Amino acid sequence: MQAKAEHPPRTQALWPLFLTISAGFRGPLFMALLAMIASFALLFTVPMITRSMLDQLTGEAPDTYLTWLQGFIPTGLSDDHALYMQLGLSGILIVLCTALAGYFVYLRGKQIAAAAEGMARRLRDTLMNHLNHLPIAFHHQADTGDLIQRCTSDVETFRVFVSGQIIEIGRAVLMLLIVTPILLSLDVTMTGVALITMPLLLVSAVLFFNRVKSMFLEVDEAEASLTTVLQENLTGIRVVRAFARQDFEAEKFGLANARFRDQNQRLMRFLGFYYGASDIVCLFQVGLILFVGAHWVLADAMTIGTLFAFITYEGMIIWPIRHMGRVLTDSGKAVVALKRMAEILSEPEESNLEQALTAPLQGHIKIDGVSFHHPNNPPVVSNLSLSIAAGETVALVGAPGAGKSTLIQLLLRLYDPQQGSLWVDDFDLSQLSRKSVRSQIGVVLQESFLFAGSIADNLRVGQSQASLADMTEAVTTANLLDTIHALPKGFDSLVGERGVTLSGGQRQRLAIARALLKDPAILILDDALSAVDTDTEMLILNNLRRVRANRTTLIVAHRLSTVMQADRIVVLADGAVAQIGNHKTLSQTPGIYRQLCELQGQVQQDIQQSRIPHGNLL
Amino acid sequence: MSDAFYDDDNFSDEFSPDKDLKLGVWTQLLTYARRYPKDLVMLALCAVVVGIAEISFPLVTRWVIDDIGLYGQDLNLLGYGALYGVLCVALGGAVLGFLWFGGKLRSHMSHDIRRDGFANLQRLSFAYYDERPVGWLMARMTSDCERLSNIMAWGILDLFWSFTIMLGISGAMLIMEPVLGLIILLSLPLLAIISRYFQTRILRSAREVRQTNSRITGAYNENIMGVLTSKVFVKEADNLNKFGRLTDRMHAASITNAVQAAIYLPIVLTLSALATGIALVVGGIESAWGLISTGTLIAFLTYTRHFFEPIEQLAHWFAEMQMAQASAERVISLIQAQPDIQDSQAVLDRLAQGQANPAGADAFNQPIERITFQGVGFRYNTGKAVLHHIDLEIERGQSVAVVGATGGGKTTLISLLARFYEPTAGRILLNDVDYRDWSLQSLQSNLGVVLQSSHLFAGTIADNIRYGDLSAGQDQILVAAKQAGAHDVILAMPRGYETVIGEGGSSLSAGQKQLISFARALLADPQILIMDEATSSVDTLTEARIEQGLRALLKDRISVIIAHRLSTIRHASKIVVIDDGRIVEQGNHDKLISDRGRYYHLFQQQSLSNLWRQAEPIDAGQSNGI
Repeated sequence: MQAKAEHPPRTQALWPLFLTISAGFRGPLFMALLAMIASFALLFTVPMITRSMLDQLTGEAPDTYLTWLQGFIPTGLSDDHALYMQLGLSGILIVLCTALAGYFVYLRGKQIAAAAEGMARRLRDTLMNHLNHLPIAFHHQADTGDLIQRCTSDVETFRVFVSGQIIEIGRAVLMLLIVTPILLSLDVTMTGVALITMPLLLVSAVLFFNRVKSMFLEVDEAEASLTTVLQENLTGIRVVRAFARQDFEAEKFGLANARFRDQNQRLMRFLGFYYGASDIVCLFQVGLILFVGAHWVLADAMTIGTLFAFITYEGMIIWPIRHMGRVLTDSGKAVVALKRMAEILSEPEESNLEQALTAPLQGHIKIDGVSFHHPNNPPVVSNLSLSIAAGETVALVGAPGAGKSTLIQLLLRLYDPQQGSLWVDDFDLSQLSRKSVRSQIGVVLQESFLFAGSIADNLRVGQSQASLADMTEAVTTANLLDTIHALPKGFDSLVGERGVTLSGGQRQRLAIARALLKDPAILILDDALSAVDTDTEMLILNNLRRVRANRTTLIVAHRLSTVMQADRIVVLADGAVAQIGNHKTLSQTPGIYRQLCELQGQVQQDIQQSRIPHGNLL
Repeated sequence: MSDAFYDDDNFSDEFSPDKDLKLGVWTQLLTYARRYPKDLVMLALCAVVVGIAEISFPLVTRWVIDDIGLYGQDLNLLGYGALYGVLCVALGGAVLGFLWFGGKLRSHMSHDIRRDGFANLQRLSFAYYDERPVGWLMARMTSDCERLSNIMAWGILDLFWSFTIMLGISGAMLIMEPVLGLIILLSLPLLAIISRYFQTRILRSAREVRQTNSRITGAYNENIMGVLTSKVFVKEADNLNKFGRLTDRMHAASITNAVQAAIYLPIVLTLSALATGIALVVGGIESAWGLISTGTLIAFLTYTRHFFEPIEQLAHWFAEMQMAQASAERVISLIQAQPDIQDSQAVLDRLAQGQANPAGADAFNQPIERITFQGVGFRYNTGKAVLHHIDLEIERGQSVAVVGATGGGKTTLISLLARFYEPTAGRILLNDVDYRDWSLQSLQSNLGVVLQSSHLFAGTIADNIRYGDLSAGQDQILVAAKQAGAHDVILAMPRGYETVIGEGGSSLSAGQKQLISFARALLADPQILIMDEATSSVDTLTEARIEQGLRALLKDRISVIIAHRLSTIRHASKIVVIDDGRIVEQGNHDKLISDRGRYYHLFQQQSLSNLWRQAEPIDAGQSNGI
């Protein structure tokens, strides 16, 4: 409520999201509310029963409860025995009422859990699904840590709100709604006395927690900076040692550590003052009832039983009210959390409504006057045209930033060009669904990402149904079979932080095998063999040629020796094609490629300077 | 590496309900609390006062009510009012007090544990780090410390509070009415057993929730990092499917946890109602017989409602301690771990003697003339041998280039030289004395190291360079940056030397980071300069400029360079080719080329990307025209 006042427009926009997320769970929430009402109603009977019995014992006139109870007691008993019976029945009634209330408490807990956990699961799944379908452009500019924070901590804040705070607010309101009439029915003036400090307590609690919010923030910041100093020290421990800076680091850490300590202590002191003071207020309120009540009892204006009931009920409502400040502040946080999640969810997903490719592609690629630039950036590809025949092997060569990787990203529809068009076979790429295009192109990216799991799991990313024979074949082609056999668990060895550490070259080869399992019409190797030595690279390229000769292959390569073997070499410069041809023609034409060859030649010259015949070198 | 290393909360569950508490671990942690005796006493005192006050309120109520019956109109409520007021203030004060002292104790203890842990981490050798991921260490130093100090501070508080309440209530009940008191006390063991049963289970399912939660975080991280791969393999649906299993598990575990709590609470409620019922029946009968007063009955009825809280609290802390035992053991082992590499006793003795004489026996007050590797071999703790029989001599003024395939042992060689590790066979001599007979500080303060992945700290660029020599002024930083070829690059940044770089230097390119860390090493004015692929991401033109400047700088130093780019290597006074942990060739460029061995082979593999770098300066003008 408080927070709604702070961000009225956002709350409005959040409402539909809240409705979507809570669809199907509003039933359980309502059930929980009913169960809570039932449990409170039952729990409130206990003080009533004790009150009546106390009055009976002190010789007051029997009230409604006692008259009702009288109906269960056989007539003809002595007064004493009737009293014992009343006491016994009341005792049993207290236990029964509480047990039944307990059942409703349990029911409430179960329903709330179903609602809160169900909504949290839906949020997590929705966020994950959305993140997977957001365009790559979004991911390039997004901060991973921040995204994760929104998907985890913010979901948690929201979950706590549903499971704890909704019910806390409901409880406090219900308590007041139920208790106040009961108290009024007992004694109107006394009720006024009983509620006199409530507004003060509630307002001061809300004010206090809004104020203390900044202190919580400072503690969080102090903790974050402590974590950062620690993380930096641990990741940079080699630098620390290399410069023998242990003392300096200890001092730096000591400062952050002490700051966190002091902020924490400050917060606790502050909370101490609040809880100490509010305890006094709450107890003062109870004392007020006791003494005003006692005074009235003395004046015969009230019974002792009623006084006892007032004291008991006061205890039931006053502590939740004191707690309200914290609850309302946290509810404000939940609104902020929901807003942060809504920001992610409102980002548009990649479209995937276009026509799906059904038949396998031949692998003919045509790029027609394509230009592309990232928003607010100079063009990376400008008016580039290129045609690649099905089955051809083409090497893309160019300085960093020449547009090689961008071209590949355009082919995969990770980005769409601002001008021009790309064609595969006879299909305009922009008319085909992204998923169907990607499923026919095998790509090995510059930095091969492996998923946590076994080697087999990672291979199955390429083809989820792959058999062991398929995997073995792909791995053989990528020249990785021996490495895998050397691992203790073979294909089942785990990779990633908890598993075996693969070298850069091994990772690259695993990524190639993964792409091969897809059996794609077009295979793209984007600097995919950079960490593999020359001999192995040759071996893999030969294997590739043998396995499927008619596959269109695009290679962004690293070594001249690799490039030389392509059917055609495309030299890119500044986002456009600078030269096209095979090694023989290009190395004889003046231009970038020949320059490269000449530089390579200088190395050869170096070798010749040592005056050993060139012939027996290779 | 065994899973045992990762078994923090996020990974494996080592909790077993039968495991007993090991008091030894907790006594060790308790020494951290004992450093604040005054606060500890005050905390306990406040806990006792809170307990006493909470017990007293029903007693005051009882007196008031009883005296109403006794004295009627003559009763003077003022005295009771004053007593009540005192109790109010005492309780409020004690609440303030326990938050004050408990908060101090808690934050100071976690501070102290962390400080000791950090101090030891600065001593521990790299072998320790190799076996433990940074994330593991971070968890020990942050969440474990917090958790343990929470248990210590609030556990102590609740221990005193609970015992006060229990003793007080039982005492009050037994004094007021022994029979009724005994009857109610009998329900205590039952409650203790039930509480313990549920608290253990609730905490265990809470742990399952935490574990699953960190897997979920991991899954988000993996999916975001690997989004490109997912897209090109069209794995979106699969990912969601896999993730769905995780969220299902989270859902199930959380509901189990909530339901356990939802069952536990009503049971305690009902038990306390049972006690209330008994009190009412028995007390009512006694009151009817005139054995006890109405006030006593009311006090009893109130006590039965408060009696069970301490038991619940104690059961909770007991279960929490059981769960946190593993954390406690890990934190203590981190604080007490002994570094593999430290100054020998002989060195320490000599240092102690030399205190009076600062230029004493240990400092390299004369230049390091010679480094000698004598049959040096090295194997990791895991048993994997990396280096065999390395014999190498480096004189002052020499630069040695180490080349060879990845994984051959080049970086290990450098780590041994820097005494990040010590050889497991043979020895390394500095000026003909085994370097284990020098102090660590004396060698490492004479080192300048530029590592493969140059780590920068958050802060300004000037701060980062100053790391090489904390006393350096602005002029010296400028000189070092110029020597490292970093000056122009830094000036091109938005705020020059005062540009603030993020954690790990994330806002800089690899080349920029290398130049800055190079400047940092030069500022240290080291006798030994070690460069591990220090300029691999720097363009050739800059590199050539650096090299020219370096030649003069290296004249009186020992330098060891690992590089892939042969243009960097060819000018070294000595080239060492390492393959599979052995030196396979040694000599200068010309000799090795004519030998037609490994070096020659490596030379031939010059990669295109290197050629591009070399082509760029020539080509820059032309390529615009194309």
